[in-house]
Amino acid sequence: MRLCIGFPITILATPNAIMTVALFAIAAATSALAGEPPPPANFDVREIAPGNYVHYGSFDERSPDNLGDNANIGFIVGDKCVLAVDAGGSLPVGRALRQAIRRITPLPVCYVVLTHVHPDHFFGAAAFLDDHAQFLAHENYPAQLAARSRSYLNSLQRDLGPAAAGSEIVRPTLLVAGRMELDLGGRTVVVQAWPPAHTDDDLTVFDTPTRTLWVSDLLFVGHTPVIDGTIIGFLAVMKDLRVVAADHYVPGHGRSDLPWPEPLDAQQRYFTVILDETRAAIRGRKTIQQATDEVGLSEAGNWAAFDQFHRRNVTTAYAELEWE
Amino acid sequence: MRKLLRSVSMGLVVLAAALPAFANEKAEPNPALSQYWDPIKQLMFGDRVINPDARDIIRVYLNVRADDASTVPVVVKAQIDQTEKEYIKSIYVIVERNPSPAAGVFHFTPESGRAQVETRLRFEDYSFVRAVAEMNDGRLYMAQRWVKAAGGCSAPNGKKLSEALLGKMKLRFDDDTITYHKPNLVQLMIRHPNESPLAADFEAGHVPQFVRSVKVTYDGKPVMDAEVDFSLSDNPNFRFFFTPEERGELKIEVEDTHDRKFSHSVNISEGVPLPGG
Repeated sequence: MRLCIGFPITILATPNAIMTVALFAIAAATSALAGEPPPPANFDVREIAPGNYVHYGSFDERSPDNLGDNANIGFIVGDKCVLAVDAGGSLPVGRALRQAIRRITPLPVCYVVLTHVHPDHFFGAAAFLDDHAQFLAHENYPAQLAARSRSYLNSLQRDLGPAAAGSEIVRPTLLVAGRMELDLGGRTVVVQAWPPAHTDDDLTVFDTPTRTLWVSDLLFVGHTPVIDGTIIGFLAVMKDLRVVAADHYVPGHGRSDLPWPEPLDAQQRYFTVILDETRAAIRGRKTIQQATDEVGLSEAGNWAAFDQFHRRNVTTAYAELEWE
Repeated sequence: MRKLLRSVSMGLVVLAAALPAFANEKAEPNPALSQYWDPIKQLMFGDRVINPDARDIIRVYLNVRADDASTVPVVVKAQIDQTEKEYIKSIYVIVERNPSPAAGVFHFTPESGRAQVETRLRFEDYSFVRAVAEMNDGRLYMAQRWVKAAGGCSAPNGKKLSEALLGKMKLRFDDDTITYHKPNLVQLMIRHPNESPLAADFEAGHVPQFVRSVKVTYDGKPVMDAEVDFSLSDNPNFRFFFTPEERGELKIEVEDTHDRKFSHSVNISEGVPLPGG
């Protein structure tokens, strides 16, 4: 019995084939059925600091109703051009962001920062292709994007149906390692690449004149934090974030009501509970399934979407900590 | 390379079958009517009859809503004892909508004590995971469970590890010491990225590195023998039983697609605390 019955060697010869095929399949399946999906209703942005505009995404699961409008996204306006922080979870959301920019300024969009490889943040990026913006991402982003894009395209199609039309994988054009300063005209914005934490390709954006920190998914407020990188790394990065002198901040999910850096406390408590209880479960020879059933349940009442993400966090933590 | 070349045509078959794979049911379909299963069944088992009622032979345990598409724990448990007269010879674990559906084939002997395998799988899509038990007399039984993985930002591939740790292994036992003449549960952990060929960033000609085979012996006698694939999560992880009769050496030998061989062994005896906690 040969095991490798499905070994798709043809793909090895043409590494991009699968993505092209998947894109084509989805485009063909959806554009025939429906035209361009309409933009989400009531897409509002709020100026939380001079020149810094935020759209707060929904905590609800991705659906045809919310069109994947699940992440906090926004933009910073300089004298010369505009920088977008993420683009939302679908092309309609990306378009709505672009329209919101146009309501405020006619200046061109010169940068789109893709803060990490998650689909609720990047699937709207195609809305900015005609702007010929630079798409910035962490140096680890391309490999992750390649490994995940097929599955992400598929699940977007499953969740949004015809409204997934036009949402596509946009490759970054400028990779960030360490720190990169960008001049938007009259204001300098610092893009910082972090070691593995929420994912292995997290970026933050810091608007220097207003001291506004766009934390993205290195901070969740009210919504269950998600660990798709390393729990130990996440806690370490949070230590560094805590000392950033910020007057304003934007979490990846949830509101910016508490003063900085207070919202980090709840997330740190949650991770510490997972860390301690998962280590105890491993020491107690509990399986990964038992750990996901038992660890961290005291936190259930504190977070939205707990049922959706908590067990996954424990799974990730367990697979990391069992090697200690 | 011959092995890879031989599989090209079969790979195409499965890939072609997998493209309408974007059927995207949210609800569990009827396992008997799955369009994915027939071509896989033909490739793996030909015209052999598979008994769909496996309740008294094997069962599959997992969470229907998988929390992380890259790490879905799956347990396949025998419902019969392994005896010389009647035993499970092999368990095939199949994720029917994965690009390479055959995740692993695990071989057992009457000495295995209990035919049970627990491992962690990747899911490219919502899919049935099927377990086929092959009895010593050749009869086949199949159990399956529907798994909703791959939701939201969860992705089957993409976790990372330091190359420096490649091939490092760790054994953990379920008790402080082993007991002779009864099945002892052991966990085997292997540091390996188990790269999926579907990660599109590979350079042309790069053969993705993933674990191909895992052999576990106790004093030279087979305990568990597995052929596996990149449907296994990175850092492949197994839990299985072995029944020691006396002191001896538990040895693990692993081979990957780059023809690298890794091995690890521990000497164990009853009543002596085991290494690895």
